[in-house]
Amino acid sequence: MSDTTMITNMLTIMLLLVGVFFMLAGTIGFVRFPDFYSRMHATGKCDTLGEGLMLVALIVYGGATFVSVKILFLITFILLANPTSTHAIAKAAYDVGLEPWRSFDSEEVAWLNTDNTGNTGNASNTGNSGEGRAGEDGGEGR
Amino acid sequence: MTGALLFGTIGMVDVFLAMAILIVMASFVSLYRGIEGPGIFNRIIAVNVIGTKTIVLLVLIGFIYERPDFFDIALVYAILNFIMTIAATRY
Repeated sequence: MSDTTMITNMLTIMLLLVGVFFMLAGTIGFVRFPDFYSRMHATGKCDTLGEGLMLVALIVYGGATFVSVKILFLITFILLANPTSTHAIAKAAYDVGLEPWRSFDSEEVAWLNTDNTGNTGNASNTGNSGEGRAGEDGGEGR
Repeated sequence: MTGALLFGTIGMVDVFLAMAILIVMASFVSLYRGIEGPGIFNRIIAVNVIGTKTIVLLVLIGFIYERPDFFDIALVYAILNFIMTIAATRY
């Protein structure tokens, strides 16, 4: 085993470890966070970064071959598609009327309350923005 | 052999296998949120997360078994995952 191979292997292992650390951190956040939006905050960034790092590690291991070009396409597509899908899920949840979690709500938030968005008792805090947003999107038939 | 001093008898395939096992464990932990999670959106994002982990798992399997077919499968799976998420959020 030459020195170049050993350096390549060590770089691969380091990138793989960092990537799998990000993936496990994202998974822990996905299970432990109290709200849908904060869960999405955990997964949307950590999974993209962890997956990118692990695939970069495999590019380093594989060398400059045709396979590496394929994995490069995969990384490019994931860096485009994963934030887009996260944004789409967040926008769909916000349009339906899922409320963000607040720390003074000790109980579980009312999930998927479509009929009374913005009028659920805490209108003094964010009632205005939520109501205006729900009103302007109600016209689209969503 | 300098590599044997560092890694013992552990080859790179074993490292890939360990990473694949860790990813499978993370997928099962995410599956808990997919089953238990309140509301439809937690399930959608659980499917998205598990699909993202599956892409890396497919590429790792392709490197473990030295078969380049798996990278095409990973590409198609990434596109399918994206389209499925967009379709699930549209309707």
